[in-house]
Amino acid sequence: MPEPVIELEGVSLCYRLAKQRIPSFKEYALHWVRGALTYEQLWALRDVTLRVDRGETLGIVGRNGAGKSTLLKVISRVLVPTRGRCLVRGRVAPILELGTGFDYELTGRENVFLNALLLGHSRRSIEERYDAIVDFSGLGDFIRSPVRNYSSGMLARLAFSILTAWTPDVLVLDEFLAVGDVHFLRKCEERLDALKAAGTTMLLVSHMAEAIRTHCRRCVWLDGGRLVADGTPDDVLERYAGANGPPAVTPAPVF
Amino acid sequence: MRDLFLHRDLIWHLVQRDLRVRYRRSTLGLLWTMLQPLLMMLILHVVFSHAFRVELYSYPVYALAGILFWNFFSQSIVASMNSLRGNAAILSKLPVPKAAFPVATVISGVVNLALAMVPLLAILIVTGHPLSWALLFLPVSILLAGLFTLGAGLLLSPLAVFFSDVVELVTVMLTLCMYLTPIFYPMSIVPDQFRWLVRFNPIRSILEVFRDPIYFGKIPPPQHLAVCAVVALVALAIGALAFRRSSDRIPFYI
Ligand SMILES: Nc1ncnc2c1ncn2[C@@H]1O[C@H](COP(=O)(O)OP(=O)(O)OP(=O)(O)O)[C@@H](O)[C@H]1O
Ligand SMILES: [Mg+2]
Repeated sequence: MPEPVIELEGVSLCYRLAKQRIPSFKEYALHWVRGALTYEQLWALRDVTLRVDRGETLGIVGRNGAGKSTLLKVISRVLVPTRGRCLVRGRVAPILELGTGFDYELTGRENVFLNALLLGHSRRSIEERYDAIVDFSGLGDFIRSPVRNYSSGMLARLAFSILTAWTPDVLVLDEFLAVGDVHFLRKCEERLDALKAAGTTMLLVSHMAEAIRTHCRRCVWLDGGRLVADGTPDDVLERYAGANGPPAVTPAPVF
Repeated sequence: MRDLFLHRDLIWHLVQRDLRVRYRRSTLGLLWTMLQPLLMMLILHVVFSHAFRVELYSYPVYALAGILFWNFFSQSIVASMNSLRGNAAILSKLPVPKAAFPVATVISGVVNLALAMVPLLAILIVTGHPLSWALLFLPVSILLAGLFTLGAGLLLSPLAVFFSDVVELVTVMLTLCMYLTPIFYPMSIVPDQFRWLVRFNPIRSILEVFRDPIYFGKIPPPQHLAVCAVVALVALAIGALAFRRSSDRIPFYI
């Protein structure tokens, strides 16, 4: 009996861009008095309805600016949709952008604690898992030097090790698998398989068709903020590759 | 709320980090946070104690209690505004309860205020001010001051994300509020026609519940205490509601 973990119903999300730059309260007050406050609306998601069941692995493809990262932010509960309903059951562990939640002046060790605390774990459970995290990251003695000395691959290792030291209900990775080296990718794959076996639902955004094919059983295609295809990776990726339509990358602004 | 509780270890971590920055980064830090109010007290003493000699028998104690309270209140508000601003990148990419940052800031302010009771006690002894059992009531006063300040911080801190000049604006308003609160002057010198301004200033009621045990050596009378508790809880409720309403918009302004 499939059990829905993520349920989106008619989700639309609008970024409001002020036409004038209004960085200060003074200017805001002035514009408001003159009644000259106008906004450009940018609908990054339009009426997205999506259901993902427990244990499913979903790949998300689409052109730059299609709204993939925005969709992941909504599912991670970072952004609240403008319209529609988003229901996610359980704990979400996201890497939306590499390096968020890291303090570059602190050592790797201190960052393990900071990052895991930000993800909502207790100090005790971090201490319990600390050795395993460092071990899996393969950073060795680098764990004692400041994160600002890390390469982006090393940062990715640490971030992934922290994120997957616990078994989240939903794992969200935004273009994450692009930076690791082959050895680490293999370890990642094993870890992802283990999580899958434990029932974690996974969402993966990637511009590499291969990554989607190996990890996902299902794939959706976002274009201009709309879901335009939903099916098996082979199917959707083929249609996506075949569509070299109009070059309009950004969803057209609605006024 | 539940989210905040789940992230309690994070909040405690942020508090510790804050205190460490304040006290360890420079050994001067510790000295300075203690010295600044004492210096301020000395200056006020030199300038005003003669003027207020009838109304206030032990002016330095009166002034120092006021200064410590005001420092806590104003610094916590400005710091909680900066805490949201400074962590904006995290707030737009991780599902952390946004209130964790201002809450941690105010808690570290409370710890700081509690630590400041040490030099205060020293001044009480040096000036020969009678030490009373009422001093043991201070934790309650500090708690009420903390709740009130947290309310104000929650109300104001999201604004700092939406507009870049709000911190300066609030700083100016705080200075204004300072003069409307009997911090370094006695209530009785306020001219009658302006008395209501000071009397109905909610900050005053919080301040007096803090200062009564120190200066008068008495536990605040029940009706003052009741007003103070209501003021603190109403402030907290308004702050929490306002924060909940505006916090969803924070990630959009980064
Ligand atoms: N913080 C923001 N403020 C305003 N507009 C934004 C913001 N973030 C994204 N957008 C807009 O929303 C649309 C969707 O962006 P999103 O980042 O979701 O695209 P994406 O599919 O992840 O693209 P990419 O493949 O380049 O990562 C884009 O048109 C972008 O300009
Ligand atoms: Mg993206």
